[in-house]
Amino acid sequence: MTREKFNIIALAGVVIVAFGLPLVVHSATYLHILILLWLYAYLTTSWNLVGGFAGVLPLGHAAFVGIGAYTSTVLWLQYGISPWIGMLIGGLLATIVGIIIGLPTLKMRGAYFALATIAFAEGLRVMVENIDRLGPFVLNGPRGLQIPPLETGLYSFMFISKIPYYYIILVMLSGVLAFTWFISRSKLGYLLNAGGEEPEAAMALGINVARAKLIAMAMSSFLTALAGTFYAQFTLYIHPKSIISLDLSFEIAFIALIGGRGSIAGPVLGALLLRPVSDFSRIYFGDTLPGLHLIIFGVVLILVMLFQPRGLQEPLTRMFNKLQARLFASKAMEA
Amino acid sequence: MKILEVQRLTKDFGGLRAVDSLDLDIEEGEILGLIGPNGAGKSTVFNCVAGVYPPTRGHIYFRSEEISGRKPWDLCKYGLARTFQIVKPFASKSVLYNVMVGAFAITDKTSEAREKALWVLEYLNFEDRKDTRAGNLTIADRKRLEIARALATEPKLLLLDEVMAGLRPAEVDEMVAIIRRLREQGVTIFVIEHIMRAIMALSDRVVVIQFGQKIAEGLPQQVAADENVIKAYLGEEYAVS
Amino acid sequence: MIYILEDTINGILMGSIYGLTALGLTVIFGVLKVINFAHGSLLMVGMYVAYWTVVLSGLHPYLALVFVIPVMFLFGYYLQDILIKPIFRAEKNVREPITVIIVTTGLWYVLDNLTLLIFGPQYRSIQGNPLQGKMLELGQMLISVPKLWGFVTAILTASLIYLFFQKTRMGRAIRATSLDREAASLMGINQYKVYNVAFGIGTATAGIAAVTLVPFYNIFPTVGVLFDIKGFIIVVLGGLGSIGGAILGGIIVGLIESVAPQFMTATWTEAIVYGLFLVFLFVKPSGLFGMKYDW
Repeated sequence: MTREKFNIIALAGVVIVAFGLPLVVHSATYLHILILLWLYAYLTTSWNLVGGFAGVLPLGHAAFVGIGAYTSTVLWLQYGISPWIGMLIGGLLATIVGIIIGLPTLKMRGAYFALATIAFAEGLRVMVENIDRLGPFVLNGPRGLQIPPLETGLYSFMFISKIPYYYIILVMLSGVLAFTWFISRSKLGYLLNAGGEEPEAAMALGINVARAKLIAMAMSSFLTALAGTFYAQFTLYIHPKSIISLDLSFEIAFIALIGGRGSIAGPVLGALLLRPVSDFSRIYFGDTLPGLHLIIFGVVLILVMLFQPRGLQEPLTRMFNKLQARLFASKAMEA
Repeated sequence: MKILEVQRLTKDFGGLRAVDSLDLDIEEGEILGLIGPNGAGKSTVFNCVAGVYPPTRGHIYFRSEEISGRKPWDLCKYGLARTFQIVKPFASKSVLYNVMVGAFAITDKTSEAREKALWVLEYLNFEDRKDTRAGNLTIADRKRLEIARALATEPKLLLLDEVMAGLRPAEVDEMVAIIRRLREQGVTIFVIEHIMRAIMALSDRVVVIQFGQKIAEGLPQQVAADENVIKAYLGEEYAVS
Repeated sequence: MIYILEDTINGILMGSIYGLTALGLTVIFGVLKVINFAHGSLLMVGMYVAYWTVVLSGLHPYLALVFVIPVMFLFGYYLQDILIKPIFRAEKNVREPITVIIVTTGLWYVLDNLTLLIFGPQYRSIQGNPLQGKMLELGQMLISVPKLWGFVTAILTASLIYLFFQKTRMGRAIRATSLDREAASLMGINQYKVYNVAFGIGTATAGIAAVTLVPFYNIFPTVGVLFDIKGFIIVVLGGLGSIGGAILGGIIVGLIESVAPQFMTATWTEAIVYGLFLVFLFVKPSGLFGMKYDW
């Protein structure tokens, strides 16, 4: 057995386990937790396209989640347009907004870019909180929008059981991971990496660094918005404070950073490690020690940044490689 | 054909005039050396030509087209490549990766970029290091990497900014040989250098600047004997007059 | 008409306090070239320290400064030393390490939620303090007395800090390091010590701002978030690294906040402040008085 075969089998194993979980997990609560886990893995992987590959620090990505959620929800509630179509439209809208935000800000230094994204996200939240109607569209301000669970089915993107949601988000996650993998091997991936590491050298080698980052931003905003629609259809209720919140933006960034931005598996890893912590500390300590999970996040973030700035995926990858080496070295010995 | 024409180039930084009405040409296929005491303005000339900042006054023509003020990435696509005095490798990535980044200037496909990069590395006798992490290279190898990266972009004109700095004499000789070979690839070379023997051995012609102004121009031996040049480098006492 | 004048004056007073809260941020940026995302949380910590000092000792809030300033200075000094210095050491060649932003953001979360855990979410205020609710009558206008005290404190603090940087040896060392840390260290200045001191000063300033706020502002664990974001806006407006700019930026924000609600809802006012912020970010990122920074 070669190393390649081993990796493929390991990957296949992971995929089978992920897709097979609903067969063994029947509790609605746990399914809910798992669905949110995959959702965060999706969000952090999408974030990674800008935050990892492009090397900047966007701290306002919840804005795109909100754009996606509100677009599909408004179109469904007022015009009966299927949320699937609304999802795509939301994605396109988010892409446009992402490009508009990116054009002036991606040229800035790291801290200023981060501030600008925060300002945009907060500004958007404030606006949505205060607007009841935007032209013909009803946004309902701070009260948010509720989706009545009337017609279930694929067209309306609404299901009684949690299982369809589980598979939808898992498929979305797989898609986004494959996309990221593909990009990392492509010209854009190389250019983004180079531009992030040594922008001057990259420019001298023919790379329009700002434009590459803009493309990454556009892709990231599109994909993030799709998750917004999913979230809206899953929880059937959206309001500005929850969906365009700074907390969400920061949580996405933190998880990706802890897992390891710039790598493909890092964000997913971060989600796999941190979301359960978050969920369990909320369930068990929610009343007695509120905000405990945030303290844990913060402390872990600080520790990781101080000792493993490339994220936890680095030591984990090294362990995996060592394991592989030992497995195959011993096989070589046997032969 | 004159591949580069610099006319009355002037660059001011606030109140400081770094380059003063400089005229300079390079013929296709030449190796032109630019020398001068420290602070003479050599790097500024390079940076203006390479598009890092626009000239305050004057014109720069590359392949008969005016390029003053164009961006570095456009210029690279157009055939003008440069290396940096303080090397800037993509330190966390392999040598091959670094050169591939350069190769992407002329292709969109990863496989083609890899092929081109491998070819360049072989050409420069560097392929044995292709998987080494760039940050772990010696200074001489890093300089070679800078050249390899720039070469992968298939430039018509290559600006080399003090590539010899920090090299031992044996390494300098190696580098001179490498640069001479580049000419075989149809690359015109514009070199800034401090190390006299390298410049003299390498250049077809030499331009000397001081305080941003040209003070001598000609064949290496002529320039070395030029009174103004001697004064500029060694001071008044050494001039024989 | 008289109300607009009253609003304007109160806006300027409150704005100067905003400026004071942002002063520490601008000093830290000016020297370390990092934006301390935990600044609001440091302000919040200062407010709790001030609160407990007053409640436990019965002192006049402004007398609490004697305790608050050194405590906050040391807190900031050691935060920088323990958390941020290692990153500077590791990323010596990077002009503006993003990792520091990430770490300070983590610090923000830890401080806010730790405070929530320890002290609970309830709003506190110093009851019966000598400044609470006092108003000064100026003709037909009512001027808030605690804000007036705050204004004076802000101007005084800003001036003292300015003088510190201009006249004292440590101050000049700090300025030298901020301009070129390599050169400064070659001159025998320990750059890490300088950073520690600068961070200490920034945090102590937040403590002073906290003391001015405590007589009239509610104290709760997430009070820092508002000031954090406002602080960023102010330093961008006024110019990162500029002391006068911070106070001026604060006054601008204070004015908008008190005058604009006459003409529109409070939340649209918020939107205007964000809008102005973005305009400056795009058009003049160095702010009104900021140093030229290579963008």
